[in-house]
Amino acid sequence: MQSFHKKYKRFFINKLQSFFQLRFCHSLVPSLLRATKNSSTLFTQPIATFLFIALLAITFSACQKVIDVGLNTAEKRYVIEAVITDQPNSCKVLLTQTRNFDENNVFNGVTGASITISDNSAVPVTLTETSSGVYEAASLKGIPGHTYNLTTVVAGHTFTATSKMPALVPFDSLYISERTFFDKTNKYATLSYKDPAGRGNAYRYIQYVNGIKEKTVFVRDDDLTDGRAIERILFFFTDDEEEEEKKKLKTGDIVTVEMLSIDYPIYKYWYSLSQSSTGENQSATPGNPVNNIQGGALGYFSAHTSQSKTIVVP
Amino acid sequence: MRSILLFVFFTLPTILLAQEKYAVSGTITSAKTGETLIGASVRISGSTIGTTSNEYGFYSLSLPKGSYTIEVSAIGLQLKQQPIQLNQHIVLNVSLTEETRELETVVVKTTGRRSITNPQMGMERLTMAETKNIPMLFGERDVLKTIQLLPGIKSAGEGSSGFYVRGGAADQNLILLDEATVYNASHLLGFFSTFNSDAIKDVTVYKGGMPAQYGGRLSSVLDIRMNEGNNQEYDVSGGIGLISTKLNVEGPIQKGKSSFLASGRRTYVDMFLKLSKDSALNKNQLYFYDLNTKLNYQLGKKDRLFLSGYFGRDKLGVGETFALQWGNGTGTVRWNHIFSSKLFSNTSFIYSNYDYKITIRSGSNDFDIFSQIRDVNLKQEFQWFAGSRNTVRFGVNAIYHTIRPGEITASSASYINTSNRQRRYSMENAIYASNTFKASDKVNLTYGARITAFSVLGKGDYYAIDTAGNVTDTFSYKRGEIVKTYVNVEPRIALSYVFNPTVSIKASYVRNAQNLHLVSNSTTGSPTDKWVASTNIIKPEVSDQVSLGWYRNLAQNKYELTVEAYYKTMQNQVDYRTGANVFINSDAIESQLLFGKGRAYGVEWLLRKQTGKLSGWLSYTLSKTERKIDGINNNNWYNARQDRTHDIAIVGSYQMNPKWTFSANWIYYTGDAVTFPAGKYRVDNQVIFYYTERNGYRMPTYHRLDLGATWQLKKRKKYTSELAFSLYNAYGRENAYTIAFRESKEDPQKTEAVRTALFKYIPSVSYNFKF
Repeated sequence: MQSFHKKYKRFFINKLQSFFQLRFCHSLVPSLLRATKNSSTLFTQPIATFLFIALLAITFSACQKVIDVGLNTAEKRYVIEAVITDQPNSCKVLLTQTRNFDENNVFNGVTGASITISDNSAVPVTLTETSSGVYEAASLKGIPGHTYNLTTVVAGHTFTATSKMPALVPFDSLYISERTFFDKTNKYATLSYKDPAGRGNAYRYIQYVNGIKEKTVFVRDDDLTDGRAIERILFFFTDDEEEEEKKKLKTGDIVTVEMLSIDYPIYKYWYSLSQSSTGENQSATPGNPVNNIQGGALGYFSAHTSQSKTIVVP
Repeated sequence: MRSILLFVFFTLPTILLAQEKYAVSGTITSAKTGETLIGASVRISGSTIGTTSNEYGFYSLSLPKGSYTIEVSAIGLQLKQQPIQLNQHIVLNVSLTEETRELETVVVKTTGRRSITNPQMGMERLTMAETKNIPMLFGERDVLKTIQLLPGIKSAGEGSSGFYVRGGAADQNLILLDEATVYNASHLLGFFSTFNSDAIKDVTVYKGGMPAQYGGRLSSVLDIRMNEGNNQEYDVSGGIGLISTKLNVEGPIQKGKSSFLASGRRTYVDMFLKLSKDSALNKNQLYFYDLNTKLNYQLGKKDRLFLSGYFGRDKLGVGETFALQWGNGTGTVRWNHIFSSKLFSNTSFIYSNYDYKITIRSGSNDFDIFSQIRDVNLKQEFQWFAGSRNTVRFGVNAIYHTIRPGEITASSASYINTSNRQRRYSMENAIYASNTFKASDKVNLTYGARITAFSVLGKGDYYAIDTAGNVTDTFSYKRGEIVKTYVNVEPRIALSYVFNPTVSIKASYVRNAQNLHLVSNSTTGSPTDKWVASTNIIKPEVSDQVSLGWYRNLAQNKYELTVEAYYKTMQNQVDYRTGANVFINSDAIESQLLFGKGRAYGVEWLLRKQTGKLSGWLSYTLSKTERKIDGINNNNWYNARQDRTHDIAIVGSYQMNPKWTFSANWIYYTGDAVTFPAGKYRVDNQVIFYYTERNGYRMPTYHRLDLGATWQLKKRKKYTSELAFSLYNAYGRENAYTIAFRESKEDPQKTEAVRTALFKYIPSVSYNFKF
């Protein structure tokens, strides 16, 4: 019976997810619907249970299998992950390269690049390579409202990027909310803040539970919520029960949420990445995220403000 | 109007040349139900002279004075012969009786389903009776899934009611229910179509060579006609299946003159939920329903009035926190008038609506989203049976479209702002005329044109957009002001050359223009996909298709063999940009779009046996379809997702005895063209996939076998019933529904591909009754 739930859920949820490509729903809706998977456990009347299970068993017997699809290899491309925040010692660039699908997930840093950053067209500062493929400008601290230019020169290639650090939007509070879907009540980290008037504000939230980062990309703009007091619940979605049990917030867990005010092109980057580059069952055609680096490198350059709050789950 | 006159003038000489002739005309109906028969064959015994009945069962045949024997036949009905003495115009209404099962084995003489002589090509017609035994997913008969078994028509995916015709996109199919456009023909995640087969009489699909009376979509026309209702006696029929229950009631209002029909269907997965005592659970909703109604009145001998309506809705709700509902509603009023034995007129007033509404009530997430497309449509058509050589069809059509792209209504407690996208208005006008001209015994020609004028109307803001998709200028228009008018001339030409009564070749050229575009970010289709009208930036999509075909009837018309080849080009195709915001808070939808072109070509084979104990068909399509969109795949040509090189369907049903009928389908096709990663990289400590080309890979080959059996139960007086069994995917092939890529759960240092298969052995049973 347990496996029926799983099959039903996988089938149903994936399908439903693809139905709700509405941006502001993209974390909310699947979570709301996710709960459908638990339906059959709830039946108390034997007849109803029997009928329902019978129906599900034959209807939604989706099955998953790891297969070999024989992917081609591609020419390597550079990947730049560059950030500068309003915190001290925050300017950091990771330079790596793509790997073939069949290779392992060890992405070695690319050494020997020359990377410079400039603040509002001031004289560029050169980043120093602190470890293999990691470049930092220790003295630098970003200032909201300033525009930063990043230039990376590696093995004859030049990549440039520009990002403007938005004004800081105060992260008012972090608390835990409960939401009930079907029989299950789960706890979720919730942020509150006031979106400033005028469209174009965008945010990214990063959640850590007991120091482990949640992989879900939480990213929002203010297109539909401009100027409002926002209550943002960080719903996340897992695709099997075991994982869910492991990931859901439990009493005593230490939850840290980092809230970033991001530049709009960076919002586009994270949004398109979550839509089309994570390799999951998605309805949208897969593709590379829309990025802000000129010259053909993957990755992004983000100048953002950063604030963190930590809470113990009650 | 001027061009119609010109056109008529152009055809006149051939008509005036005709000698003294009289017309025999009338309506062909089924004796049992009084339903008019579409496409019934009317011919003169012992000659090649003949015609077919039109969409309202009307026919007219002009002949020189003399005596003849008229032969009338239709699929599944007994051929009827009637001698006539033609020395004046006469009216001959014919009703055909059903072929009895006993007779079926002896009746050899039958006319082919397809006219060898008619230049019309790229057309398939199905009656509901023929689709009855085809096994289907969950045992739910479905016309949209049935047509997918025909060559050139491809399924949008496992279990899907969506379809692609000759390389076109899903939104390039004009789906009509009693002439009303159905904008979203799917229910429940796309697994079912909105067409309740109990209410349907006839389905005609045009893959190419569309007649001039149809327009507005590039790839196909699916013309679905509802039953009119039995005008002879009351009939109640229904079925109880795994997924849904159906009930159909019809009968005469005035015997032989007028009738009504009401047909409903509802699914009941959620009924099981309701049985639960758990209040959190029994508030959930997951169902759909359809309601078809029709009334028809015979107003004297020359007039007939039809009123038909359809309403269907899907509801999906999770407790009180979330709900999504969507559905179509259509209404058609039609008035047939026979001006003379040679002039038939139909006037239609049509209303069509599709909308969806999302409701979210979860704390400060408290809002509704509403979106709608609505048409008001007026059509006037004349069919002029000008002589034995000419049949002229001409008409005008005006549609007023109103699109409400998205309206958000939020409560004051909500952090979402109430906001409305601007409504979009447009007027689609068309005039058309065509003539089917019998040039000689060997050569038939249909020529005509459709001229459409699509006007984008105010009130609203329209934009100028740069290549990156940014708005550079805004133009405001007042209410009713014309933003832009697109005029398209669409020639429709078809020719047939008859070698002998059983062999012919045909050729055709057709141009189609499309001004309503469905922009969809999903590959499966979703109720929230957006219909967008052409604007100053979005140009009308235009397709040109040439096709060539060879037709042969074998073994006294028992078998039909068809081979058709086509080449089609498509301009101004629309696609989303990567990472497009599907629901943007801007009226400039164009900022999310990319434009390009497409091409498709292929060859289709169909061998069909339509009589006898064993009937069915074998279809094979060899095809290619590609796109070239500015901004996708480095602006190079790439395979469209639905590009499937080989596509085979074998459909058979065998009537063993009056009690048992067995059936089977086997489907095989090349996997869809899909985009798989070329590599991977790390961002923010997680693996992200890297893509180099669009649709450069293939899903694994798809194939499956479905089995079905129908057991006719004992008749009790008027009560007949049957049990229908089916087994979908009988050999349990795990066809890939999706292939996803992820970090391996066992070894996070690795990445793996995961295939998800949906349906493996799905048995179902349903009980159908009639009294």
